[in-house]
Amino acid sequence: MRTAGVIMVLLGGSCAGVFDPILFQSKTERRNMDCLRLSQEEGAERYPGQIPPKGGRALAGFQPDVMACSTRYLQPADRNARDEAILSTLSLQVTELVESAGALAPRSARWHVDAFYPSLAVAQKIAVTARTTLAERGFSVSDRVPTLAAGDVAVLASLPPSEAYRTACARSFETKVLGPDELFLGLMIVDARETRLHAGLCEGGVWRWLP
Amino acid sequence: MRALAFLCVLAPLAALADEQPDLAERQAELLRAEIANQIQLQAAELLDELVLGWTKEPPFETASPTVLAGLSVPVSLGTGLEAYLENHFAGLVVKNPGARVQLVHCPACSAWVVHSGAKGTVVSRGFDDPEALAQAGVTSGAKHAVFLDFETEGASLVLRARITTLDASLKIVAAKTLTTSTAVPALLRDNERLKSVAETRKEYLEVLGGRGLLVFPVRVAVRTFAPGFNSTAISTPFLWVMGGAEAAFSQGRAWTASLNLGFTWLPSAHVGVMAQGRVSRLLTGSSTSLTWPDLYLFVGGGVFFVQGRSALIFRESTPTIDEILNINQNNEPRTTLGMFTTGLELRVKNRIGIGAYLETYPSVTNTDNIGTYLQLIFNFQSFGVEVSFCF
Repeated sequence: MRTAGVIMVLLGGSCAGVFDPILFQSKTERRNMDCLRLSQEEGAERYPGQIPPKGGRALAGFQPDVMACSTRYLQPADRNARDEAILSTLSLQVTELVESAGALAPRSARWHVDAFYPSLAVAQKIAVTARTTLAERGFSVSDRVPTLAAGDVAVLASLPPSEAYRTACARSFETKVLGPDELFLGLMIVDARETRLHAGLCEGGVWRWLP
Repeated sequence: MRALAFLCVLAPLAALADEQPDLAERQAELLRAEIANQIQLQAAELLDELVLGWTKEPPFETASPTVLAGLSVPVSLGTGLEAYLENHFAGLVVKNPGARVQLVHCPACSAWVVHSGAKGTVVSRGFDDPEALAQAGVTSGAKHAVFLDFETEGASLVLRARITTLDASLKIVAAKTLTTSTAVPALLRDNERLKSVAETRKEYLEVLGGRGLLVFPVRVAVRTFAPGFNSTAISTPFLWVMGGAEAAFSQGRAWTASLNLGFTWLPSAHVGVMAQGRVSRLLTGSSTSLTWPDLYLFVGGGVFFVQGRSALIFRESTPTIDEILNINQNNEPRTTLGMFTTGLELRVKNRIGIGAYLETYPSVTNTDNIGTYLQLIFNFQSFGVEVSFCF
């Protein structure tokens, strides 16, 4: 079973592995693992029956550590490399950006969120993550995505990204697609080669990139 | 001829090469199916957790007609998983009315809608443009829409659920992110009796606690001795009741050691006591099973003392009828014997067990009355069976 959990116990401070099932994994399989180092106490708490509680050796001064490793669901080759890099860190990246955005905006505003990414499926995942994270933090979030008129979109498509977002924000405010008490949070990659998400906030027709 | 043979060898290889793209595609499909099979349990589990959360903290004050507007699975996985999860979610909501989510059917909500107005023509899904649905006269009665999104993030599966109002604002009224890890086994909860992770963990710990390091077995055993080759005397079977303590070296209970004290009594025949120690090794795996019986091999040693007519059997010579009948109450025959035991025990969930064993008595070598059941390095003069109950 590819997704079976693997537990490894190490003797803290010494080089000997007490029990190392990872030895039986191939190099490729090992590279596809997420590992977390825990104290023995925490390991026994999280994996009862698999990690023994602190025993006599711990009392005698040994401080064993536990390495808990799990195989990732998908192999690196199963998805596009850039998509995989974005999706496997989605919560982390989006939470950081949403927290930055939340700190800059008034609490009473209504949020609209959209993501701009070459793959539509991944763009939807990014947008959903941001909406859910904002709503969980108590912000007023709408599922509606502000849409500009077809003529505006045709003009925006001809502009470089740095200019396009600024213009789109101003145009949304002018055409009342976004009201004065509404905010638009956009998440995107600016360069097609990058795997780091950026975000910008549109408030009152003014676009600003988030730090 | 050689050329023909060469052709015969190469032809299948060429055919195989032609099939390579198909094979790769098929393998990729198999791989996807395998991953989907593993994810489905965890995904179903996250849905269980979501609905359980709704039953404890309902998203609505009263039951609200809600449409399942969207369910998306991790990127690169297929729609078969979507169908399974949609059915599972619907089943959960129906069986847990406390969640106050009343699913309604609204095919137009997920259909593509083209709406032309003063601002232009907008193409969208029905639930993204409820005004267009209303103008078209499509009324499902749904007031809310629920969206479920699954994504894998490394070794974790994440569920993001949100409920929106089905009006012009499309306001998100409830949102929840739930995550799990592949290191945590699926809980496999019953749809109708959902339990929280904390409750399930408690049950799991109780199961583990049920196989603690120390148990107290009570054994009822029957021990027989092989009849001597030329002797007319036959030993009566000894019925023993034993109790003791058994310690495991680890929670897997691969190795255990026990110390038992026993008592035997047969009216007008004998009374006896015994002390025995055993070391057992699990043969069926490296840890005990919660679902299958476990087979142990054990070796041990002990000593027993018996007093009464039955003890005459351990004398060197055959007891006469007078000796058997005219036992002096104040001077009953008695004997003390040392023994070594080896046997097998089949134990179910560390609660009940059945065992059979052979014993050798080093001091019983010159008697005519006791024979040998098996000669294998040692002379095994005794055979016994036992039933164990562990507390």
